[in-house]
Amino acid sequence: MTTVNSGLARARRGVAPGGSGRPSPSRTSLNRASKLHGQTSRTYFWLILPSVLLLVLINGYPLIYAGVQATHDGSLIDAGNFVGVDNFTSVLGSEAFWKAVQFTIVFTIVGVFGSWAVGLGLALLLRTRIPAGGLFKVLLLLPWVVPIVVSSTAWNWLVASPDSPTNKVFTALGLETPLFLADPTLAAITVCLFKVWVSFPFMMMMSAGALTSVDNTVYEAASMDGASRWQQFTGITLPLTARSTYISWILMTIFCVNDFPTIYLLTGGGPVDATTSLVVYAYRKVFQDFQTGPGVAVAFLMTITLVIVSTLLYRQIRKSSVE
Amino acid sequence: MNATTERNRSFSRRGFLGLTAAAASVPLLAACGGGSASKTGSGDAIKFWDMPWGTPAYNDAAKKITEGYAPSGSNLKASYQTIQWNNFYQTFSSAIASKTGPAVSTGGGFQAFQFEQQGAIAYADKVIDALKKNGQFDDFLPGVIDPFKSDKGYIAVPWQLDMRVNWYRKSLFDKAGVAVPTDWNGLLEAGKALKKIGAVGFMTGAGAGNFLGNHAVIQMIVNNGGGVWDENGQVDVMNDRNVEAIEFMYELYSNGIIDPAGVSYNQDNHDAQWKNKSKAAYGPHVFGLTNRVGDSSGDLLVADPIAGPHGDKATLVFPNNIMMYKNTPNQEASEAFLVYYLGKLKDLWQQKLMNALPVFKSITELPEFTADANNVKIVKDWQPIAKTFAARSTKLTANTAVLDGGQALTQFAQTVLTGKGDAKTALKAFESGLKQVVKS
Repeated sequence: MTTVNSGLARARRGVAPGGSGRPSPSRTSLNRASKLHGQTSRTYFWLILPSVLLLVLINGYPLIYAGVQATHDGSLIDAGNFVGVDNFTSVLGSEAFWKAVQFTIVFTIVGVFGSWAVGLGLALLLRTRIPAGGLFKVLLLLPWVVPIVVSSTAWNWLVASPDSPTNKVFTALGLETPLFLADPTLAAITVCLFKVWVSFPFMMMMSAGALTSVDNTVYEAASMDGASRWQQFTGITLPLTARSTYISWILMTIFCVNDFPTIYLLTGGGPVDATTSLVVYAYRKVFQDFQTGPGVAVAFLMTITLVIVSTLLYRQIRKSSVE
Repeated sequence: MNATTERNRSFSRRGFLGLTAAAASVPLLAACGGGSASKTGSGDAIKFWDMPWGTPAYNDAAKKITEGYAPSGSNLKASYQTIQWNNFYQTFSSAIASKTGPAVSTGGGFQAFQFEQQGAIAYADKVIDALKKNGQFDDFLPGVIDPFKSDKGYIAVPWQLDMRVNWYRKSLFDKAGVAVPTDWNGLLEAGKALKKIGAVGFMTGAGAGNFLGNHAVIQMIVNNGGGVWDENGQVDVMNDRNVEAIEFMYELYSNGIIDPAGVSYNQDNHDAQWKNKSKAAYGPHVFGLTNRVGDSSGDLLVADPIAGPHGDKATLVFPNNIMMYKNTPNQEASEAFLVYYLGKLKDLWQQKLMNALPVFKSITELPEFTADANNVKIVKDWQPIAKTFAARSTKLTANTAVLDGGQALTQFAQTVLTGKGDAKTALKAFESGLKQVVKS
């Protein structure tokens, strides 16, 4: 039976009995083919070599140099003495580092899921037919489009002092004037809200793109089967946009962890380190405390963490694709 | 395809690859050679890098002075470049490391000490000798040159003083019916009276990028005869005078005399409080506050220095300086240019482009300077009692750079300005943080 099947298969490929399935070349033509193959490989090698060299120079060199700095006790000018993993251990033993880790986690979770929730909600809303929907889309993109220096100045104007408009509203309502940026807890909340405000348009665009790939007939069929709005959302919208959602989460996680200007421009990491994230901490280590080694060590730890988180989320993407 | 065409094809492919490799190697070779090519060779000009110390008109004027330099003998001409404050330390560090940096520059107040520690600074002893010869050395205001003298030589030459002085708004004191304080007790009482009319009796700010709050806290410490360092330049935070000063700051906070929102004020927010005629009544700020906030009403005035509980009177000064680097086409040419530039500083104040105290007495006597009574009061009453961040030591070092703007001081100042904890706990945390970053 096996022979019959294999014979049929060979026949379908047009191979004669006893043949290999390939034309039988002469020794000369074999040598010629081998030579051509070798030349082609060399050509490919030389063609990609400039790109590989550029990649190594652009990415590899700074990475290696950063590795040198992270294991030395010098400055930006002079690498100094080799100290092994001392910079890493000193950073990991620092209370300020773990406080920065804590805030980075909160900032990232709120930034990713807050902006995703708002973005998805608005994408679903804009999917319905509302008057001037296009105009709304453009207006809703503004927080993402406006330079962060401008938006942070606007937020500072809104909340920084007791005379700011938001504070005046609280005062007018007879409430105690909140110190949005001066109280450590309120400052952390304000910075997280600012991040959500800056980031939701990106999530909205990602979600809107994913939603266009969901056929309306799926919803119609679900409606006919008696599925509620919530059931349609959890049973159709979320699973069918999962791939795009995971990608947007990965990207937003990277944006949040690496986000320097949103925090630094609004609070500078204060008050009393309440809004100091890892990237702000690393910056301050290098450029304010002039401790290049520990600062770069923090950056390395951040990179490792980001790679792990991204890999985990990427696995989720593959899983959702398989499903 | 015959053998000839195959050979031609092979040749053209190799030729193409060869050309590609040659083309790709051009920027590589250029990059490799860049260091030496851009090094200041003997035929180059003296590169002078300057910061934006005022409006763009300042940089235009400084450029004109630089380019107007006519060197004598074999000395070189000078070129001018403005360096933005944003990431300036990185800019200088990268340039110095790649040997493409300036021969002479202004910069951060403690930059010269950092680069001196790293072996990049050329000592200015010959410049000082030249200033002694031309009479300018005797023209320095008292005490301004001393912090730059090290065992190895003069690390830099001061050219302007960034002073911290106490300002007050006269109309608010009149309204509150209280006298402008001359001692700490008076400051407390005045603050309470000002609070009743909704004004702030000790205004400062320590938000994003605003280091005046940090300076205000150290100013109070120095005002009480304390300091962050001992006489030998070692960290000494927990001394009695410091504890007393910080306890007083906590007392100011608990009485509502320090603005509780001040900890988050960036420079604009901070200045806005001074511009607001009903808010900031008293507090430390910079030289030229009236120009900074655009208030020419005559209502904003420089106060008398206040005395601490032991009778001490002192304030902070940041002597900004001009430094020379070892990477120069010609050291003598650098020195000659610096002597020339110091001799031309007067032009900048005559054109009213500077918002800082000059280091030369002759400039403080110019009519353009004395026209403002606040300037005269600062020279007469505040400059003589000014101490640097090095207090209680007299010598500035690279460690003072770590103190200024470092995380330890920022966290300490923000802790005090939010009234969290108590003085000793805050000072202990400050000392611990500082010891982790200073080099002994």
